[in-house]
Amino acid sequence: MKTRQVAAPNQLALLQGTLDVLILRTLVFGPQHGQGIARAIQATSEDVLLVDHGALYPALQRLEAQKLIKAKWGTSTNNRRARFYTLTRAGRNQLVEESSRWRRLAAAMARVLGPEPQQR
Amino acid sequence: MNILPPRRTHDDFANEVQSHLDLETDRLVSEGMSPDAARTAAHRAFGNVAGVKERFYEASRFIWLDQFLQDLRYAWRGLRRSPGFVATTVLTLAVGLGLLTVAFTIVNAYVLRPFAIRDPQGLHQIVWRAREGGGPGFRWQDYDELRARTDLFTAVIGEQTRFVASNGRPLMTGLVSSNYFDALGPAIAIGRGLGAADADGAGNPAVLSHQAWIRLFNGDPSALGRDLDLNGRAFTIVGVLAPTFVGLGDMPRDVFVPYTEAWTPRQRRGANGIRETEISVRLQPGIAAGQAAAALTPFLQRVIERQEAVRAEVRPQTSPNPLTPELLAVLAPVFTAFGLVLVTCCANVSSVMLARALARDRELAVRLSMGASRGRVIRQLLTEGLVIALLAGAAGLALAAWGLRAAVFALFSTLPAAVAPLLRIAPLTFDSRVFLFALTVSAVATLTFALFPALQASQTSPIDALRGQGRGGCPGSRLRNLLVAGQVAVALVLVITAATIARNGTAVGAMDLGFDTTGVISVNVRGDQDELARPLADALAADPRVADVAVTSGNPLFNLGLMVAAAPSGAPPVTPTATTFVSPEYFPMLRIPIVEGRAFRADEARGAARVAIVSAATAKAFWPGETAIGQSIRILRSNGGRVDELPEYPEVTVVGVVPAIVGGVMISGRDTGHIYLPMTSADPHATAILVRGRTDRDLTAQTFHEIFRRIVQDPQVFEVLSLAEMRALQIYPLVAASWVGWLLGGVALALSVSGLYGVLVFTLGHRRREIGIRLALGATARAVVQLMLRQSLRLAGFGSLAGLVVAFGVLKILDAAIRLEAITLLDARAFAGGAALVVAATALAAWQPARRATRVDPAQTLRAE
Repeated sequence: MKTRQVAAPNQLALLQGTLDVLILRTLVFGPQHGQGIARAIQATSEDVLLVDHGALYPALQRLEAQKLIKAKWGTSTNNRRARFYTLTRAGRNQLVEESSRWRRLAAAMARVLGPEPQQR
Repeated sequence: MNILPPRRTHDDFANEVQSHLDLETDRLVSEGMSPDAARTAAHRAFGNVAGVKERFYEASRFIWLDQFLQDLRYAWRGLRRSPGFVATTVLTLAVGLGLLTVAFTIVNAYVLRPFAIRDPQGLHQIVWRAREGGGPGFRWQDYDELRARTDLFTAVIGEQTRFVASNGRPLMTGLVSSNYFDALGPAIAIGRGLGAADADGAGNPAVLSHQAWIRLFNGDPSALGRDLDLNGRAFTIVGVLAPTFVGLGDMPRDVFVPYTEAWTPRQRRGANGIRETEISVRLQPGIAAGQAAAALTPFLQRVIERQEAVRAEVRPQTSPNPLTPELLAVLAPVFTAFGLVLVTCCANVSSVMLARALARDRELAVRLSMGASRGRVIRQLLTEGLVIALLAGAAGLALAAWGLRAAVFALFSTLPAAVAPLLRIAPLTFDSRVFLFALTVSAVATLTFALFPALQASQTSPIDALRGQGRGGCPGSRLRNLLVAGQVAVALVLVITAATIARNGTAVGAMDLGFDTTGVISVNVRGDQDELARPLADALAADPRVADVAVTSGNPLFNLGLMVAAAPSGAPPVTPTATTFVSPEYFPMLRIPIVEGRAFRADEARGAARVAIVSAATAKAFWPGETAIGQSIRILRSNGGRVDELPEYPEVTVVGVVPAIVGGVMISGRDTGHIYLPMTSADPHATAILVRGRTDRDLTAQTFHEIFRRIVQDPQVFEVLSLAEMRALQIYPLVAASWVGWLLGGVALALSVSGLYGVLVFTLGHRRREIGIRLALGATARAVVQLMLRQSLRLAGFGSLAGLVVAFGVLKILDAAIRLEAITLLDARAFAGGAALVVAATALAAWQPARRATRVDPAQTLRAE
């Protein structure tokens, strides 16, 4: 049960600016609603990344305003009304750009930090 | 098309949040949680629902509108509670806005507003330029020739304008080419315009302007088809123009009729024609104005004879006076003066608003401590200012409409009686440009008068204010003092300017012209049919009601003297000298004494003898220390050639000397030099007439009308104006300018006085305690009055000093730019008088608050401690 969002020792809070690219990445697999996106990020990161559900919505709103995603009301698998977000062409391009940026950053960080020191 | 996507509603967002919570609850329930626990957990995972909703609200782009509407409601409620404050501020601003709007409306009517015709931007006027002279006038035959230039123009319009008598009334008449209405396309109120079918003038059709229709027929639609007498010929009114179009010029036309040859006297037709036809064109697509001018230059060189370096100019004719840098240089100082009054109004309102904002210290402190940001408080105070500015803008427009009507009425009732019936005013109406101007100025005014108080007030420290202390000392006093000193300075600049103009007006009005205008009436020929003066002079001389008649080549005060380069024989040519042909009656009639030598003899006049009478100034300049009598003068053109107009006068002998007189405009003073040559009424140079009746009542307008009718069909060819009226007319602009100056100066002074009064009352309120203690400690009433007066004198002193410096600087610059003999711009008395007036007024403003200060009751103050 990973419902309690109190950070477990093995969980990381999201870095500034990472949420947007995670949302875009999640939407590559098709339309999804807010709760689904939150769950998907947590699941695909194998519960390492902690998504504050509340913080998700301003991010979605921002992406929608930038026309990177678009939204439409629809019905969820368990028959609830939900607002589904879809990636736009601009969003797809943005994702490609952002993910390569993050990969380069992660690789560079890894090189600088060097091999993981041996734990006791 | 909607540019912005439809706004997402708050409810829609709330639904989404709810759906999220439901989905999360569902998932947790499916993982085996109880529904209640699941709901709690979902909420916990979401965090602060209200906070997220708030962030949604703030991110939506219409929040400023919501806040603005809230501010507007708040401002409205607040202002309704203090009607006195609203009335003061709105009225103060309305005066400033109204004055500025009046000035703008006049400029709009004469400069900015395009003619109400089809495509006014495409209309151009053809003008000729030469080394000596130029202008928009052509002969009608030139127009006829230009009409064929379809390679350059899509339309060529010709018009002559002149006053034509209609049952004794002068009507400003446009004699227009038959394509005038088709090419311009002005709106017609009733009936029709003139068309190609009217080219021959058959049936004598006439189109009235709206102004004339109202004036002559009270706007009666049955005027259509009625007869209109023009010059003894009956014309039929076929149409009335809409009020928006009054003709292509400064002077609104009363009536338009087709031009036919009958309008030109036989002897003036063809090549003898006078250049009085103005030509407007519409260019062919792809032809630039410069190209057309280049193509027209050879044509103009052919038709403009006896001029050197003739070239054509095709200039835009969008409005009566399209804006040029020169025109702007004239308008800018006038607008500055009107603008300064508005600035003073703003300063007053600013001062009042500051006092109000400071009085609301506690309220603002509460708002700030409740979490309002400083920006939000400033915005709220600005909104209040905006409401006041909009109210003032509306009131200002109303005031301007009233002011314009009053100004036009004042103009007509103060102009010399002989001139008023000839004056036509362009319609001074408010159009979108005027509204836009008023709105812009109101908005700018808001920023200036509301921003400073708002910034100042928002600096309130909530803790102090809530504790009930307010800031120590006299809050905002620096700013208020600055405003008052600035007002005093502006008022002083305007008062000094007004005093300078007024004193010049008085001085010019009292000027000794060097001749006696009493009873002398000038008759000039309008247009260029100068030869009509000769038979008229004879007819007048033969009339028993006439005592004396003199003919001249240009009457004094009318500035029609011929300028020649004259020099004593044997010396090189000197500066231009005015030269006038006069009949021997001229000097006795104007009571100009012959100071040396003798007057012209009748035989000299008949034979156009080569003799001259010179003014004392010319005599002194040409032969210093010698007598002028018997000396000879060479008369040349400025470039040394012979004067075409004076073929018989290369050299003349001086027989007499007279004192200098004012031949042209009075502000230029007496002529620097003058040469008089003899002639009779038979001479071609006899183009103007001076006449004196046997008694004052002999020569009425009716008499002149009757005598004129013997010479010409149209008596309006002659312009009758007594020399006394001409003198009044010349002073009129100065007098009118000084009225405007006094008005502006008076308003500014009243505002600065009330501003100073406000500051002192405010200070008194804040220093009541201090004064009470001083009185209790034994200060005399005198000391307290001094205390109060010292503050006001310091403000008035600083303001006056600044005003004096600015006024001196401005007038010094103008003085360097304007070189007029009779005008003194740096007038010590105007400066001293203006400063004394302003200081006295400010002292008066300070007196009442100072007296009130002495009545502070020490006992009461101490008890309150």
